[in-house]
Amino acid sequence: MRNPMYLLYGAALLAVLGWTSYNRTPLFGGSVNEVKNIPKSVRDNPGAYRSIYGGYSRYVGGK
Amino acid sequence: MTPASSESTIRGSRVKGLNCPGCGAALTVRGFEHTISVVCPQCLAILSAKDPDLQILQKFADNTRITLLIPLGSRGKWKGTDYEVIGFQRRTFEVDDTEYSWSEYLLFNPYKGFRYFTEYQGHWNDVHTVRALPQPVRSAVSKAQVRHNGVAYTHFSTAQARTSYVLGEFPWQVQRGESFAVRDYVAPPLILSSESNVSEITWSAGEYVDGREIWSAFKVPGTAPRPVGVFLNQPSPYAARMGSIWGLCGLFLFLAVLVAIAGFALASNKEVFSDHYRYTAGPEKEPSFVTPVFQLDGGSSNIEVYTHADLANNWAYFSYALINEETGQAYDFGRELSYYSGYDSDGSWTEGSNSDTVTLSSIPGGRYYLRVEPEVAPGLQSMGYSIRLRRDVPGFGYFAVIFVLLLIPPAFATFQRFGFEQRRWAESDYAPVKEEADDGVTDGSDD
Repeated sequence: MRNPMYLLYGAALLAVLGWTSYNRTPLFGGSVNEVKNIPKSVRDNPGAYRSIYGGYSRYVGGK
Repeated sequence: MTPASSESTIRGSRVKGLNCPGCGAALTVRGFEHTISVVCPQCLAILSAKDPDLQILQKFADNTRITLLIPLGSRGKWKGTDYEVIGFQRRTFEVDDTEYSWSEYLLFNPYKGFRYFTEYQGHWNDVHTVRALPQPVRSAVSKAQVRHNGVAYTHFSTAQARTSYVLGEFPWQVQRGESFAVRDYVAPPLILSSESNVSEITWSAGEYVDGREIWSAFKVPGTAPRPVGVFLNQPSPYAARMGSIWGLCGLFLFLAVLVAIAGFALASNKEVFSDHYRYTAGPEKEPSFVTPVFQLDGGSSNIEVYTHADLANNWAYFSYALINEETGQAYDFGRELSYYSGYDSDGSWTEGSNSDTVTLSSIPGGRYYLRVEPEVAPGLQSMGYSIRLRRDVPGFGYFAVIFVLLLIPPAFATFQRFGFEQRRWAESDYAPVKEEADDGVTDGSDD
């Protein structure tokens, strides 16, 4: 084998591709904050829940 | 003839001892009846070995000596045959007022005849003369080609060379200062050369060899000098692995396509939720709400959230929380949409988009609902928007990246090979013409 390093390199890349395909891992996933133990009352009172993504200042675009 | 002082037999050939008629130094003739010219090692006079009196053919005032890399008399087995180094000559040519020289070591075996080792800046060739005349090849390439023993050789360079130094003995009438037109043709690692003067043309074929093989075969003290630069018929170290690396690359790309197709075919890509909403501004109105519960099947997989809003020169922001109804696990994320358009002196323009897609990875299966909290620009009274969720969505992002990553090493190797060939041909008659560097340069004088 004249290219053992490339053989290893390609096999590793294929393994990554296989793994990400199997798990449906997106290349650029969205930024997500995981929160545990959300009370069931959120379904009845959605306004009581405070997301860390709420209340941010926004870019007002336009040319 | 100066009387022979001794005769002996070495591996089938006789060695005759003689004395130089010019300086009296002892001479040794190893090629015996094959030897036409012999050079006195003391005074460097060229003598006629065929003349009984060893007639002096050439004498030189300049007795500058060149140190031979392989001493005369060195013996070794080369390609299964015992050879002895019996002669040395240096050939010199001139390019742009600069002299370049290569060396030729003459090897002799009484049954196999002669062959040569040529050396230039640490690059060695094993050369033998050929009897069959190489035939010109008609080809579309701009460089001339000749064919010999089924191999097409491409013209590399033509130079006028002269014999600048000789030592030992030769099977021809050697002469310092003799000039030849040397044409080199290459098919690495092979080389075909013609040497011609007004009366004759001689063809020789050679093959590039590693100097260390010669040092080993002839038990030369020390180590072979390291080659400098790229020689005209030096085999490219990149060419040999070019086929295998591109073959491997093709195999990897094929497997990558198979994996991507399999990933696409096996993905359920199932829509699990879709609905359309309208945001209406109001001082007391709570903007957040939750969707009905929906099922995410299977184990851990991704989920794609698509948002579309009816925006015109405005923005909207959505705070999302994907909440597992059973475990209370929430996945918080936010998406901003903004879409602006207009017309100015440059023409019409748009900026942003009124739709957005994001993929969340590794979401376990279960029963989920989505908490949505839209936020809009102040003054926007109403906005329609829709939300759609898909489960187990295939993606080509990694495939595209890995596809490119797989191509990089063979592309780099090809680039290296191209660079090697460029350096090879930079020394040929076909090198790109360099522009004069003295444009605009003054000598600093006032007149």
